Amino acid sequence: MQSLESEISQTQQELSTGIALQSASDNPAAMAQVNQLNVQISASQQYQTNGSALNSNLTLEEQSLSDATNVMQSARDLAVEANNAALTPSQRQDISTQLQQLLTQLVSTANSTDANGNYMFAGEASTTQPFAQSGSSVAYNGSSSVSQVQISPNQRVSSSDAGSNVFMNIPAGNGTFTTAVGASNTGTATIDAGTVTNAAQWVPPDTYTITFSDPTDYTVTNSAGAAVTNGTFTSPGSIAFNGISTTVTGTPAAGDTFTVAPAGTSSAFNTLSALITTLNNPNLSSAQISTQVGTALEQIDAAVNNFGEVSASVGARINAITAANTTAQSQQTTMTASVTKLQGTDYTAATTQLSTAELALQAAQESYASIAKLSLFNYLQ
Amino acid sequence: MSNVLSNSVSGLLAFQNALAVTSNNVANASTPGYSVESPNFEAQLGVTSSTGTYGNGVEIQSVTRSYSELLAGQMRSSQSGYSSFNTYSTTAATVDNLLSDTTTGLTATLQNFTNSLQTLANNPTQTASGQAVLSSAQSLAQTVQGYASQLSQTDQNVEGQISNGVAEINTLATGIANLNIQIAAQSSSGQPPNSLLDQRDQLLNTLSQYVSVNTATQSDGSLNVFIGSGQSLVTGGTAQTLSAIPNQYNPTQLDVGLQTAGTSTTVNVTSAISGGSLGGLLAVRNQVIDPTLNTLGQLSIGIANIVNQQQAAGLTPSGTQGQPMFAVGPVQVSNSSFNTGTAQVTATISDVSALTPDDYTLTNNGGTWQLYDQTQQHAVALGGGDGSAGNPFTADGLSIVVSGAASAGDSYLIQPTNQAAAGFSVLLSSPSQVAAASAVQANASTTNTGTGTIAAATVTDPTNPALMTPTSIVFSSPTQYQINGTGPSFTYTPGAAISAATGWTTSISGTPAAGDTFTVSSNVGNAGDNSNLFAMIDGLKANSLNGGTTSLIGAANTLVAQVGAQTQQAQANAQAQQAVNTSATNAVNSTSGVNLDEEAANMVKYQQAYQACAQMIQTSGLMFTSLITAITDG
Repeated sequence: MQSLESEISQTQQELSTGIALQSASDNPAAMAQVNQLNVQISASQQYQTNGSALNSNLTLEEQSLSDATNVMQSARDLAVEANNAALTPSQRQDISTQLQQLLTQLVSTANSTDANGNYMFAGEASTTQPFAQSGSSVAYNGSSSVSQVQISPNQRVSSSDAGSNVFMNIPAGNGTFTTAVGASNTGTATIDAGTVTNAAQWVPPDTYTITFSDPTDYTVTNSAGAAVTNGTFTSPGSIAFNGISTTVTGTPAAGDTFTVAPAGTSSAFNTLSALITTLNNPNLSSAQISTQVGTALEQIDAAVNNFGEVSASVGARINAITAANTTAQSQQTTMTASVTKLQGTDYTAATTQLSTAELALQAAQESYASIAKLSLFNYLQ
Repeated sequence: MSNVLSNSVSGLLAFQNALAVTSNNVANASTPGYSVESPNFEAQLGVTSSTGTYGNGVEIQSVTRSYSELLAGQMRSSQSGYSSFNTYSTTAATVDNLLSDTTTGLTATLQNFTNSLQTLANNPTQTASGQAVLSSAQSLAQTVQGYASQLSQTDQNVEGQISNGVAEINTLATGIANLNIQIAAQSSSGQPPNSLLDQRDQLLNTLSQYVSVNTATQSDGSLNVFIGSGQSLVTGGTAQTLSAIPNQYNPTQLDVGLQTAGTSTTVNVTSAISGGSLGGLLAVRNQVIDPTLNTLGQLSIGIANIVNQQQAAGLTPSGTQGQPMFAVGPVQVSNSSFNTGTAQVTATISDVSALTPDDYTLTNNGGTWQLYDQTQQHAVALGGGDGSAGNPFTADGLSIVVSGAASAGDSYLIQPTNQAAAGFSVLLSSPSQVAAASAVQANASTTNTGTGTIAAATVTDPTNPALMTPTSIVFSSPTQYQINGTGPSFTYTPGAAISAATGWTTSISGTPAAGDTFTVSSNVGNAGDNSNLFAMIDGLKANSLNGGTTSLIGAANTLVAQVGAQTQQAQANAQAQQAVNTSATNAVNSTSGVNLDEEAANMVKYQQAYQACAQMIQTSGLMFTSLITAITDG
């Protein structure tokens, strides 16, 4: 009767709590599995939390990149407008004032913070304002590495993009070399950004000078002064050497020079600053202005391209988070179901067990009562 | 005629006594340990005459109790078995319940701690997340400490019960010895002292609840009692004394000693004790409480080791290397109380992954030291040096230093993990003390023209004083590099480890150009770096225990399952032994118990016989009257 009573009380507890697995001794293997599954569910929920926090930060970053792209597009429009020989210096200065505002706007976008007040483009130096403007130059004070966020058991993604990669280290010129018009040129010839015709023949990092001995003859020398090639020139004519080709248009004067230098990287800020400086300078020839604005346009495009690439990578990360989230949810459903199955009460079985035990207890009690009445002494009256 | 009368009178007397036996049986129907008694009637020798032999009435030869030595023995042994397993399972169940909580248990709090590190990693500069790391570290520490304190509470209960059990056994032994004396004295009269025998059996039954019992009956009716694997407890009228004696290494743990009457030496019989609640207590202490405490300790050491190491390898938001987050209790070394030498033994943990949850003894065998794994019961080879402070012994992740002069036979108990869980606590008080950032950063120079990239630098020796001194790796050609631009040139292999003996390691891949420079320098200022947290998270997840085969969560989970399995087995054994005991008790009851129906039948039978005897006396009277009347009338 005692064992029946304790069985009834245990079954009642199972029914009221819904948990059959009260302690490990009920089923050690199942308990170990439940613990393991609970750990995995908890970790999975944490990864989801990580992912959703990162998702909102990445969405903010996408917005900032799109703002920056818009700034550069506006700057591009202004540059195109300025690239007009008919403009007076003061008209160009007006344009440069507008560009100055765009530059300030770009710095402020690059210094934007996320929901937690951390600088979005400072890399790991998230508490340091990454971009400091001093006069015409903007310096990067952030870190070039970025922290990671875990979004699934085996997946960590970058939580942001370092400002150095987004705004600073944008490949200059055409990505391989840059061209420039000599500062003391007197002719009207301009030089384009050029193209690489055979990458294997391009020998960096050297600076080459194209010197016109007269309007139709030129010599290309390397930085050591050794001649690389020479030829005759008719406008517009291409000058090719060491696997690259540039086009010079207009009439060069004798002694005019053009340089072809290895492309470093330029920053979006410097691009705008240089353009502002160019437009503010009333002493430049229209050829110089045209080449410099051309370079600026090239670099603005490179910057917009770079923003686009970063934005694409941000988008890819957001997609990865969404995918990880979906997987996590379906895994959690499966695991939670397993936990319920392992530790939950089988109501049908428990109810049957309860009524069987109750019946047995009743039978035991009744039989005890009737046996207790049976004694020979009852009949010896 | 006198014959008829005397026969009837003997019958009257006998049946009166028989009714007395029956009434005694009925009166004792519910007395525990009472064995039903029955009168043994015997016809008295008859008188032979020429006409035959005429009986001489009846007498009750003796009153004997209905008792089976075999059944009583079975009942006692199953009683010992049941009470051993029952005590074991009751105590194990408290440990089992302690560990079984799936929401606030060990695996859950450990995972919560990892989760809080993940949350901090999402935003390393957020104070609230740092606070959450400390809170979850606190609750992890409280869980482990709580377990340790409840386990030592359980152990104290066990020690108390051992003490009480020993006292109870002594009382019972004395009682049995006294009864032996009385029984021997009364048996000499020839009549069995039934109630004394019942009392002694009752004491034996009670004794069997405390310890397994064997008996040997002597010719004078006294009983010799042996416990455990044959230790004599009662010899005739003498009881030996059991005592709870402090363990030679750990005075708070009690062993069982046996002092033979008339001698002054106490022999440690702990390992010989089996069965009964005392056997169950000793077994549950050895098999559940101590191992659980040790495994918890091993786990605490594992957690503290990973987190503290990584703390040192990282930077706090203020830019200093992190302090240890967790403290654990030290390795416990206890001298044997039998030691005569003056040697001091100290042990520290040198390799957490090689650490076991076992206890060891270090014994001096006349000059050489020997290490023995007490838990697994095997010798362990001492590696390392000669045991001096500069050149310690090493074994199973321990570093052991012996100083002073030991005598041969001196021994020391080394418990690497036993105290660790009780001392598991959080040392940090401010969220700004959590080291989220790596101590060093690796960067490529912005003026590099090659395509070489440098991997994140990993701290290998947080104590290196030059750890955060900027170090540059300068390529003199695409295949050769120098550290800081001076000294020997090294050949560059993409992806191979590069270090500068300043406590970190990194690697470079891709194709660097001549003149390219990579720098590893202090990471101060990069408050948003969380790579140290990830190193911590990865460390906590890795298989770091038992020679790199078990993860922390895995070890915690195994502990829960193992205690569960032990409890389950003990419960099953207790149930089985209870069933055996019930049937043995039933068998004893059907032999020795009082059956009221049987007594009623006997009562009727004796009553009728008594009435018949009385009738015979009346008949004899009538006979005598008829004779007298005939004479008078005659």
